[in-house]
Amino acid sequence: MSPEERPSAKVTFFDLAHCFWRIFFLQTVWNFERYLSYGVTYVLMPVLKKIYPSPEERGQAMTRHMEYFNTHPYMASFVLGAILRMEQDKQAQPKSKQKQKEDEISALKVGMMGPIAAMGDNLFWATVRPYCGLIAVTLVLSHAFQNKGQYWIIPLLFLAVYNIVHLGIRFMGFFQGYRQSDQVVLTLRKYGFQEAIRGLRLASILLLGVLIVFVNLSVLEKEVGLFVLKLTFFTAIVGLFTFALHRKISPSQMFYAVVLFALMLAFWPTISAPPVLPVGGQ
Amino acid sequence: MMEHWLVVALVMAFLSLDETAVGNFMFSRPIVTGPVIGWLLGRTDIGLELGAVIELIWIGDLPVGAHLPLDLMMLTGTSVALACELVKGQNLEAVMTYAMGVAIPLAALSTEIEILLRKFHVRWLHFAQRKILNSQFRIFEWINHLVLAEQLLKGFLVSAFCLTVAHFSSGFYVLLGKMLDGKVIDGFYYAYWLLLALGCSAVIDLLVEKKTAIYLLLSIVAMMTLALWRPLPDVYLVALALLIGFLFTLFYVGKGETA
Repeated sequence: MSPEERPSAKVTFFDLAHCFWRIFFLQTVWNFERYLSYGVTYVLMPVLKKIYPSPEERGQAMTRHMEYFNTHPYMASFVLGAILRMEQDKQAQPKSKQKQKEDEISALKVGMMGPIAAMGDNLFWATVRPYCGLIAVTLVLSHAFQNKGQYWIIPLLFLAVYNIVHLGIRFMGFFQGYRQSDQVVLTLRKYGFQEAIRGLRLASILLLGVLIVFVNLSVLEKEVGLFVLKLTFFTAIVGLFTFALHRKISPSQMFYAVVLFALMLAFWPTISAPPVLPVGGQ
Repeated sequence: MMEHWLVVALVMAFLSLDETAVGNFMFSRPIVTGPVIGWLLGRTDIGLELGAVIELIWIGDLPVGAHLPLDLMMLTGTSVALACELVKGQNLEAVMTYAMGVAIPLAALSTEIEILLRKFHVRWLHFAQRKILNSQFRIFEWINHLVLAEQLLKGFLVSAFCLTVAHFSSGFYVLLGKMLDGKVIDGFYYAYWLLLALGCSAVIDLLVEKKTAIYLLLSIVAMMTLALWRPLPDVYLVALALLIGFLFTLFYVGKGETA
């Protein structure tokens, strides 16, 4: 049976669910030559198997998807959903138009991977993850959940808040991509990612203010003046370190510089009033 | 630590899969890894605190493009295990600083091994492509499983190595404690407070711009005033900041939709 005569294969919800499950393995064979290309092909396989019953055609389709592809792993869901729909549409068309559709699929991948990578990096790595991390760190350093049974609340809260956003975007991206095909590019702006980034960054900045006050709160019970002095000194040091980090000194290098500085401080006879160190053993 | 060596290394190996190979659910972040390893070694509190400090300091080390950040799972797991081993009879802050100092080079080593593995994956890619052209699709799927097993094995071996090195470095801390009238330990104790400042700087470097710096200043002044004027329990202050932040986010998202 030639492709012109063949009816388009019916892709069921279970095929899509199978592909969606495989999205979690998108980065398994991440490599420095073609980055996510292996993962993309692996995700698409269940549907490609359905719409290309002939091994030759399926082999060609999979080879097409082995081309260079690199983007943000969560945001890739939008592209993957759209590709699945476009592959399905391609098979329903006469053979004369299939080459054009293949080019469209390739163009969609190349055209979308850059912008969604930038959006994903900005949204997840530089905003949502620091925000969730900052909530958890502030709660830990403020000793909000001190009792033994309450320790797990903080990491669980971190995982819950982060993964609601993460899984939500992956799920919505994949099925919206499948529904809207190549039109998904146009609708990405409507989700308000940029506005959410701005809001969450401001929220993180507010949390940072709380954290800075908490770190110095332990002396408040002893003396108010000491608290204000310590806080001012701490803020000045934070400013100094921020300047160094702006100069592209890595956190690891800064770590050793800080320890070295503290050791010098300990050996400085006039500054160093030997602290009475509390002991942490049980 | 050594009596739980195998279990800790195995758990770290499974957690390392989350870094890239499977899911990215953030189980491998310090704030989660820390308490898990701490719990295995009987000190969840140490794991949680060290995890929080590591999370804060390396908050701006992002996996953007082909850049591979420091292996924070390895850093957290190793430093928590070492801190749990050392803490009996010692100052907690000093021990945590020392443990992080030992674990950073080991985490960097783990990152280098990961880079080598990713270079090696190119061979798997070419092999798989040849198999596809021969219509051997099952092999393509099996390579994925094989790489998962490879990642797990790598995670286990690197964790086991890091834990062993960390264990043998614990004697050095005791030696440092005895040297120079204990001043080295005092230095580690001071460093812990400075490391918190470094963590706050990392957040500023990542998130704060010239336009938004005023919000940070206002937040510090407001929280300081609240703490002085009416000493609320800490959790209420966090909740208040979260609420205001949530309102900010809603405001901006709403503004975007109407624009």
